Amino acid sequence: MVEVLIPGTLAEALGMLADREGAVPLAGGTDVLLDMRTGRSDPTVLVDMSRLDGLRGVGIDGDLVTIGAMTSIRTIERDAELAARSTAVPEAAHVLGSVQIRVMATLGGNLCHATPSAEMPPPLLVHGAEVDIAGPDGGRTVPLADLFAGPGATTLDPGELVAAVRYPAPSNLGSCYLRQTVRWSMDLAGVGVAASVAVDGDRITTATVALGAVAPTPFVVGGVADLMADDPWDPERAGEAGRMAAAASSPISDARGSADYRCSVVAALVPRALGIAYRRAIGGWPVGRFSPTNGLVEEPA
Amino acid sequence: MTATETRVVGKRLPKLDAPDKVSGRIQYADDLDIPGMLTGAILRSPHAHARIVSIDVSKAEALPGVKAVIHAGNVQQRPFGYGHDNLPLKDRKVRCVGDEVAAVAAIDEATAKRALGLIDVVYEVLPAVVDPLEALEDGAPLIHDERLDIDGNVSMRWDFETGDVDKAAEEAAVIVEGTYSSPLAAPGAIETHVVIASFDRSGHLTVWSPVHMVFMYRKELADTLGLDWGNITIKQPPVGGSFGGKIDIDTHDFICVLLAEAAQRPVKLAMSREEEFIGTRTRQPIHFKLRTGADADGNILFRDTHVISDNGAYNAWGSHAMLVAMNTVTSLYRVPNSRMRCAVVYTNKSYGGSVRGFGNPQSTFAVEQQLEEIADALGRDPMELRIQNANQAGDVTPQGLKITTCGLTQCLESVKEASGWNERRGKMKDRYRGLGAAAFIHVGGGARIYGSDGCGAMIKMDDSGQISLISGSSELGQGSETALAMIVAEEVGVPMSKVRVIHSDTDVKPWDVGVHASRTTFVAGNAARLAAGRARDKLLAAAAEVLGKDDLVIEDGVISSRSEPERAMPYDKAIRRLLLREEGNVIMSTAFYDPPTENQDKGYIGNISATYGFGAHVAEVEVDPGTGQVKLLNLWTAHDVGRAINPSAVEGQIEGGAVMGIGLALTEELPVRVEVGELMAPNLHDYGLPTMVDAPRIHVDLIETNDPLGPFGAKGIGEGGLIPVPAAVANAVADAVGIRPRQFPLRPWKVLDWIQTGETSNVVKGAGRG
Repeated sequence: MVEVLIPGTLAEALGMLADREGAVPLAGGTDVLLDMRTGRSDPTVLVDMSRLDGLRGVGIDGDLVTIGAMTSIRTIERDAELAARSTAVPEAAHVLGSVQIRVMATLGGNLCHATPSAEMPPPLLVHGAEVDIAGPDGGRTVPLADLFAGPGATTLDPGELVAAVRYPAPSNLGSCYLRQTVRWSMDLAGVGVAASVAVDGDRITTATVALGAVAPTPFVVGGVADLMADDPWDPERAGEAGRMAAAASSPISDARGSADYRCSVVAALVPRALGIAYRRAIGGWPVGRFSPTNGLVEEPA
Repeated sequence: MTATETRVVGKRLPKLDAPDKVSGRIQYADDLDIPGMLTGAILRSPHAHARIVSIDVSKAEALPGVKAVIHAGNVQQRPFGYGHDNLPLKDRKVRCVGDEVAAVAAIDEATAKRALGLIDVVYEVLPAVVDPLEALEDGAPLIHDERLDIDGNVSMRWDFETGDVDKAAEEAAVIVEGTYSSPLAAPGAIETHVVIASFDRSGHLTVWSPVHMVFMYRKELADTLGLDWGNITIKQPPVGGSFGGKIDIDTHDFICVLLAEAAQRPVKLAMSREEEFIGTRTRQPIHFKLRTGADADGNILFRDTHVISDNGAYNAWGSHAMLVAMNTVTSLYRVPNSRMRCAVVYTNKSYGGSVRGFGNPQSTFAVEQQLEEIADALGRDPMELRIQNANQAGDVTPQGLKITTCGLTQCLESVKEASGWNERRGKMKDRYRGLGAAAFIHVGGGARIYGSDGCGAMIKMDDSGQISLISGSSELGQGSETALAMIVAEEVGVPMSKVRVIHSDTDVKPWDVGVHASRTTFVAGNAARLAAGRARDKLLAAAAEVLGKDDLVIEDGVISSRSEPERAMPYDKAIRRLLLREEGNVIMSTAFYDPPTENQDKGYIGNISATYGFGAHVAEVEVDPGTGQVKLLNLWTAHDVGRAINPSAVEGQIEGGAVMGIGLALTEELPVRVEVGELMAPNLHDYGLPTMVDAPRIHVDLIETNDPLGPFGAKGIGEGGLIPVPAAVANAVADAVGIRPRQFPLRPWKVLDWIQTGETSNVVKGAGRG
């Protein structure tokens, strides 16, 4: 028998998590309930976060975007302002599961389940996101990359919750999320690639690539900014960035593709994601329009 | 030939069962609750191949709430399956992961599952043979060492030869060769298998099962469990999708009855999704090593194939898929010489059943790719080559198939025109796009594989005017209920709303082989039409007495005289005038239709179907050269349907079949861990059933050839929609990126690998184009 506690405030939720050993926070339930049903987890107490309205919603203040942990993936997918300012984030939300799943699933849940192939971490990583963590001893803020400890594991201490995600979205930055799947919807990424490119005119000032599903945790590929910055768009350097990203990947082989295959896909998708991010940054892409999921479009001019 | 003038047949009507299915009101087997019913659960083998050393059920039996625990040591059971190679509960050995070892009936699911955990089975693990080529090697572990009637692990051979293949190969100007493979796949119905069994106090057994070869099911149940088959009723709740998976009896059906017998209570056994993949029948992998040769003018001279059917641990229906595969090898297009050598091989994995298409998608994948490879080698357009070699009405194929009506050429012309074939094929490589085609032949007028290929029908008319058709057939979502009602309404001359179709259970229904082989509209439709015509004649005779005329016709439920149209009466009044009097009568009629076909002889020659269905598809794809992903952009289809009884339903069947074919072509696969023989990911997510997003616009052109033997001209169309899809998609990928995909599904990593390694056509004789 599972006991479900329904706190009305964040403080109450933190108190319940502190008081009840083994209590599991329940957000949208699209992972927690599945894990219970398949026997992967067997919690005795669930703390249902659905009444914590303060953790829900998208706020934009100047160039700073704040998304509450209980915001649904569907809300993120359909937010026009997010689509205009940080396209990769709703672009990733758009391909997560089905509409029904996106309505239930939350950003906090997607991050805290820490699946290596999760859609939301790569786009948030290329936007330099930080997470606000609430805990029994007060709050702390960490870079998103520091949240992930391994497949299914986070660095959260017992009793801590992710409350919000924050990232800058300056108008000279474009971003993109692409992925490889077996079927074209309702699938987990075999490879997830996010890229962001900031420009000054047509000159790249910085570029970032983050990958999902090709390492124990989502991660930012080192060295891409040094390779791409201070020059206009160069397809050869984008290709080099793809090779660097493939070299930095350490995927496993499973039913969704071999390690070698996944590295090939990384090398193919990274230049595309960078190209689309660049086009978005320079205004060469319709504002808010998502790309095909594998980014197979005409090369940028 | 012009179609008969009709009032109901040929109209676009909604399916009769659609409102209740769409609104969730329909009661499937799992919705049924019998008072006192227990929940059953099966303990399955975790090993692909192992000896059962001992089974101890004492702890499970002692658990409160457990009402029965059964295993091979405490039940009466006999072997079943082709070659009698299977037992409901395994006694000596398990031969695949998922094999049934013991079962429990308990007061609820949690108790039943707990009890399974308390059963102690000691196994001695044996070396498993998962690869069929290894199974064929000398010294390979014998999976059925108890079978002295077979050679090693080869359970069956299907060998056919006609003409002189070797001479034809000498004469051929061009020959292509290759091995074409298909994966382990699943029917993928939304409803998993569910069965309920209950004995009454007199010992009469009632089974509720969404099965569609219900009379075979009853016989097999009785034979295997030693029951009196005349003392069994099989009730058929609505089927929540089958695609062949629920065609016939499966191990859990026997186990449910054994549990009900042991517990002396009704028992329900419902498969979880994981069990559905692991423990019910699949589409087995088949490997075709094929050669096709043609002369310099592009006339196909021969096909020569060695086939390995990787049949799994036991012989269920899958072992017979070779029958259908053979039809395509010998009879798709005019092929004067053909040879097929086929070994059905035991392996320690999930075993093949009957899945929609039944061997034909796999066979067509090989045959239709080589058609395009031959065309390329000759520098000919493959569509023209198809039209040149197309079967024609009046042909008798070397396997003895009598082609009566044949719309193949029209189908090819239709998809060629609709797809812009001449303007677009081979001209979109710069965008990684391509077009590919494939055609098919499939039985369309029944398939005589038993002594009878017949179906019974009964009509009764009651005092309200309601007309009931009691058909031997079954509705499994394919729309047969609606088609049969339309045929009866047309033949009697009443509105559709007056007809009800009953196919509830074996006590009520007349005998039928069952729903398979795209036969229901043709065979059950002819039976329904015959019975309806006889009932109408009785109705008109009754009206003749009242109206004093014998030149009566009935239209829209009104009976009138041809010569004096004002002499008329509603048909239901005629029923009552006959019934409600002294020495009255009620209108009832019966019919049994068995198509004029023949069983194949020992050389596999014989006209097994009263007519044959044909069709052609063209697929348009875009291939991602970086990831290997294939996006299907368009699918044009044209099918010789004889005549569409209900065009909307026919299109729905073709589109639904096409989507199933898209899954086969691109995504659906159950990978097996070779070392241990277990499925890597028995879940709907990893399996890769296509979603709406994966289905492109599907264009359907219905070609009506008005088959003289079909009910109002109709042919069977249940399977055709999926058969050519994997071949057409593979040919389109070949056009787009110049590779030759010899395995489906075309999962992205395979496609990328073929692009990187330059997997191309293998022209072994004659000049290749490139």
